[in-house]
Amino acid sequence: MLFSSIPFLFYFLPIVLALYFAVPKKLKNTVLLLSSLFFYGWGEPKFLIFMLISITQGYVFGLLIEKFRGMKLSKVFLVASVLLSLSLLVYCKYTDFFIENFNALTGMSVPLLGIVLPIGISFYTFQILSYSVDVYRGDTCAQRNFINLAAYVAMFPQLIAGPIVRYSDIAKQLENRNHSFEKAALGVRRFVTGLSKKILLANILGELVAIFKASEEKSVLFFWMYAIAYILHVYFDFSGYSDMAIGLGKIFGFDFLENFNYPYISASITEFWRRWHMSLGSWFRDYLYIPMGGNRVSKPRFFFNIFVVWMATGFWHGAEWTFILWGIYFAILLIIEKVFLLKQLKKTHVLSHIYVLIFVLMSFVLFDAATPAEAIYRIGSLFGAGGHPLITAETIYYLRSFAVLLIISAVGSTPLPSKIYKTICKKKTGNSIMTVAEPLILTILLVVCTAFLIDGSFNPFLYFRF
Amino acid sequence: MSKLKNILAVTLAGLFIFGFSIWSLILPDKEISKTERSRLEQFPELSMDTIESGEFMSKFDTYTLKQFPLRDLFRTIKATTAYYALGQRDNNKFYLIDGYIVKMEYPINKESVKNATDIFSDMYENWLKNTDANIYLSIVPDKNYFAGGEGYLSMDYENFVETVKGDMPYAEYIDIFPTLELSDYYKTDTHWRQECIVDTAQALASGMGVTLKGEYDVKKADTEFYGVYHGHSALSYLPADDLYYLTNDTLENATVLDMESYKEIPLYDMEKLDSDDDTKIPDAYEMFLSGPNRSILTIENPNATTDKELIIVRDSYTNALAPLLVEGYKKITLVDIRKVPHDRLSRFVPVKGQDVLFLQSTLVLNDSSEFK
Repeated sequence: MLFSSIPFLFYFLPIVLALYFAVPKKLKNTVLLLSSLFFYGWGEPKFLIFMLISITQGYVFGLLIEKFRGMKLSKVFLVASVLLSLSLLVYCKYTDFFIENFNALTGMSVPLLGIVLPIGISFYTFQILSYSVDVYRGDTCAQRNFINLAAYVAMFPQLIAGPIVRYSDIAKQLENRNHSFEKAALGVRRFVTGLSKKILLANILGELVAIFKASEEKSVLFFWMYAIAYILHVYFDFSGYSDMAIGLGKIFGFDFLENFNYPYISASITEFWRRWHMSLGSWFRDYLYIPMGGNRVSKPRFFFNIFVVWMATGFWHGAEWTFILWGIYFAILLIIEKVFLLKQLKKTHVLSHIYVLIFVLMSFVLFDAATPAEAIYRIGSLFGAGGHPLITAETIYYLRSFAVLLIISAVGSTPLPSKIYKTICKKKTGNSIMTVAEPLILTILLVVCTAFLIDGSFNPFLYFRF
Repeated sequence: MSKLKNILAVTLAGLFIFGFSIWSLILPDKEISKTERSRLEQFPELSMDTIESGEFMSKFDTYTLKQFPLRDLFRTIKATTAYYALGQRDNNKFYLIDGYIVKMEYPINKESVKNATDIFSDMYENWLKNTDANIYLSIVPDKNYFAGGEGYLSMDYENFVETVKGDMPYAEYIDIFPTLELSDYYKTDTHWRQECIVDTAQALASGMGVTLKGEYDVKKADTEFYGVYHGHSALSYLPADDLYYLTNDTLENATVLDMESYKEIPLYDMEKLDSDDDTKIPDAYEMFLSGPNRSILTIENPNATTDKELIIVRDSYTNALAPLLVEGYKKITLVDIRKVPHDRLSRFVPVKGQDVLFLQSTLVLNDSSEFK
């Protein structure tokens, strides 16, 4: 089920909210778990089994790891849990990729298994992995209540597209959390903001991307429009989903960590990755990069560590060479920055932003391409290598048609709207006006989002496939 | 956030979500959408099979969209936001120019055009060749032809026509583009206005060697005509079109026969103007020759002073035009190859020396998937 859908907004959510707040405290996690399983099973009921296997093994091994902590058996159970989790992920997500490449290398024709990827498996697998490792490290206690652990893993606000919430961050909230009107209001504001980012910006930007791909009259300018629309589309799609997840979390009494912090204002790629998909970046840092030695190793080993982490990050996004290359692309940029570029970038403020935007833009062209060859063709075409005219009548039409949206989106991807809002609220009159205006604007946004849902046709969530 | 702001934010959002949720649950399901002219999804079959296959969920998604309370109002809000707040030039390919709702037909679908002309050529080879028929071709431009110059995307119509002409060397082309302008079409519909195409009918007839006087009484139909684009564009605040029809002694005496049911039908079916029936999808344009669902029709002219006969391979644009050609022929046969397989025409419509006119709109040629 999608957050940005009529069944979710007007059937599932009101029923779950009514049930959740009607039942006593001790049953709230049960309501959350059952509703989350329903939410997950709505689209793909058969994939519930994968999730239940993952949760059960995480629960059992968590208890065993804790019981034998300090003993060899603890490590054995940790390895077993990690292997089980990864096996499921690898089987579902990567088997056909490996078979394809094996066939290509050997000339054999081992048949593909045609496995359909269970939605959100990459996200909940990483949550269970972090839980098992944290219990092993003694950073958190094993959860003895199966429902609580299952509610954590399956919790529908963050189930299928993150943020990757770590068990240790919400362990206490699972047992005891506060519900307040203020928190609910914050949640509503965050949820509606995310919904609007998704429906009013990301979806329409996605339409421009789709129009570009279908066009037979491409031009150099159209390639730039596509690339700009795509990086904004990805940002608003994913950060919109994270906003909705965080907002829903607040309504249900949870505080999830932030996942985005205006990544496109970064002055280096290093900074970009501190602001983009922060929960994934910190997961790889804490569970792969640091265990490998991080930066407290020899330089070659340090570069190797970066390389491995970013290859894994790319591969996590999908079983395609384009994603692996995307990871390697960032590994190379990050190594270059660490060797010398970071110091130079600090001296040239404007150029550093342009550098980030250009390289991130090209990275997402690669990210969006079906094959490396297509990525090279599109990136080449941005710089006139595709043999396309500079501009066509079609490009002018779509530029005029999407100009307002592109400007709103570009401004919306910076902290400027938030700064304006805070400036208004600081003044007494502004604050008084916002007391009424803000709830009204939120309601109008809800109405307009509903209108776009009812008449819309383009509404996929990009990160579902991961 | 201040306490009042919190209360307002939660209350307003809650009222909206819970209000429409309850309204959705209690609102009786509708069978059709009159504005969108389509049957609406009904509550899907609930069974283990449909749940396991995901069919129930998929259909339920569509059901909730189609049956949502105030659906038409929400569609209008969406269209208005897209045009005026987001500055989009079109909404679902529809745009508004001088009060005319126009669909941006773009680009040329070469495969579709080829499919159409291949079928026409097949009809020529197996139905018309060696029959002494005089074969003509004419193409009806869609509204985007006239409005495309205003910065909207439009097909290369010259290329379009040349392609069709090139693929049909056996037919003589009659150009009607110069006889038409945007005001000859309804503001809210795709079709042309019968009272505005007398000169077009004369140009067509002249191209086939027939002279028409074109003298008619203009009558106004007792209806508010909301055309197909009115609902599709969701611009519900736009006014209805007036609908006129032309008549004279010849037309009043003409008889129309539906060859499929072998029943006589009216030339102008006034019952189609009634839009009060909640179970029927209204389309006042269907008053012309009783609408589109007729595979083969004949119009006989007992007042004719000639033995000439005409066969028109038509689409819905012909429905308003064909009556205007009656004056010049003893009999006109209309065939719609979206309703009857083209390879069966030789059985149903024998040809010997008639005029045969392929009269198709750019809209249908550019989407010929319904040709049989």
